[in-house]
Amino acid sequence: MSALAQLLQAPGASIEADSDFDAVNALVMEKGWGDGLPVVPPTEARVAAMLEYCDRPWDQPVAKIPPRWGEATPLRLAANAVMAGCEPRHFPLYLLAIEAMCEEPLNLYGVQATTHLCAPLVIVNGPVAKELDINSGHNAFGPGHRANATIGRAIRLALLNIGGAIPALGDMSTFGSPAKYSYLVAENEAESPWQPLHVDRGLPREASAVTVIGAECPHNVNDHESLDGEGLLTTIAGTMGIAGSNDIYYKAQPLVIMGPEHARTIAAAYSKDEARRFLQQHATLPVAKLSRDNIERRVKVTWKERLPDPKPDDVLYAVQRPEDLLIAVIGGAGKHSAFVPTFGATLPVTRALRTADGRLAKSVEDFRRR
Amino acid sequence: MNQKVRLVVPEAPSPQAVAATETRAVAKGGIRLGVLDNSKGNADHLLKFIVEGVKALLPVASVVSLRKDSVSLPAPADILDRLAAESDYVVTAMAD
Repeated sequence: MSALAQLLQAPGASIEADSDFDAVNALVMEKGWGDGLPVVPPTEARVAAMLEYCDRPWDQPVAKIPPRWGEATPLRLAANAVMAGCEPRHFPLYLLAIEAMCEEPLNLYGVQATTHLCAPLVIVNGPVAKELDINSGHNAFGPGHRANATIGRAIRLALLNIGGAIPALGDMSTFGSPAKYSYLVAENEAESPWQPLHVDRGLPREASAVTVIGAECPHNVNDHESLDGEGLLTTIAGTMGIAGSNDIYYKAQPLVIMGPEHARTIAAAYSKDEARRFLQQHATLPVAKLSRDNIERRVKVTWKERLPDPKPDDVLYAVQRPEDLLIAVIGGAGKHSAFVPTFGATLPVTRALRTADGRLAKSVEDFRRR
Repeated sequence: MNQKVRLVVPEAPSPQAVAATETRAVAKGGIRLGVLDNSKGNADHLLKFIVEGVKALLPVASVVSLRKDSVSLPAPADILDRLAAESDYVVTAMAD
């Protein structure tokens, strides 16, 4: 008997069903195991193929996913990856993303359960992004690339099926979000004039890595007219000061995505750190834009030391310190950037792709069982 | 007749379901009630009503009321430790 067959003998680990595709999907819907879309049946054979790219013990949890605090074993993760349509070689990056988002600073319990509409955004850096053909260019947040679509979907299925983020039960989001189907991109390192995000976050350039952010959907910054970096940064900063954003009430770490064309224009006059400083200083919201009750009940409480008696011309900052602002270059041609507000009570987590013995992985093939 | 196939179950069981069946001992002098205000607007008012309601129904020996600073972050360890040490039951609340 195979190692997988032995694991599947454990109570609740497997279920027998009619093999017909429609029957399996009817069962998945009945059990509440899906995201509403049809799934690939997680058969023993498909899960076995997925686990060929896992160098960890298949039945040992790599994380506990809130709010249910369900144990994310590679076995369960593989079943969700199969259902989402992943290729087996996607598995190491998927497992890494799950581990990263379960680290305490991200506050996944809050991200999952809140009435806010945030979802974990995964940005992939390093050689594995290219190896897996993760889209970082035109329509990076949209359809058309299997890796973006299926790894992101596998993450959501794990958050639902293992973490229990069931709408209106474990996930109380007022609106939900299209980002709760799939929310994974790569940075467009080839088109970036600056060092990539994972290097900003302290990892070596040769590492492959994920950065996870408890984020809203991107809000577009259209600027076809500004001809220099100061102009573009002024427009981006003007987009960041939003009255309804959580970030103005927290020491948050939101994300600015620069399209490659904007990034090149800005980089002609600004280093990345200089751009960060400009945006922090100029991304403000006048107190006058807030209601009297919000000033009394939020501003005076949250910023009581800096603004004990706020006046209409006082300002709130979209990001409190320059070093708290994340900048990534993503997308294709076009005079656009984007601002990605966060849940506020969450901090990004960056984690490198490493094999079980701790080495930086050079390829997903490093995880393949021989 | 359809062929059968073995599917790997993608979900994790809920440990909460086990915890919910545990019974709790209550001292003769009444329950020691803990209250955790999650700092949502009006949570303090709602909890006050709940404490009054519990007192009307059950003998209450003591009430310890604590408040966490952020609605969106877990309660810090010192608050949880004190509630665990001084309470038989803890009521928390959200409100808007």
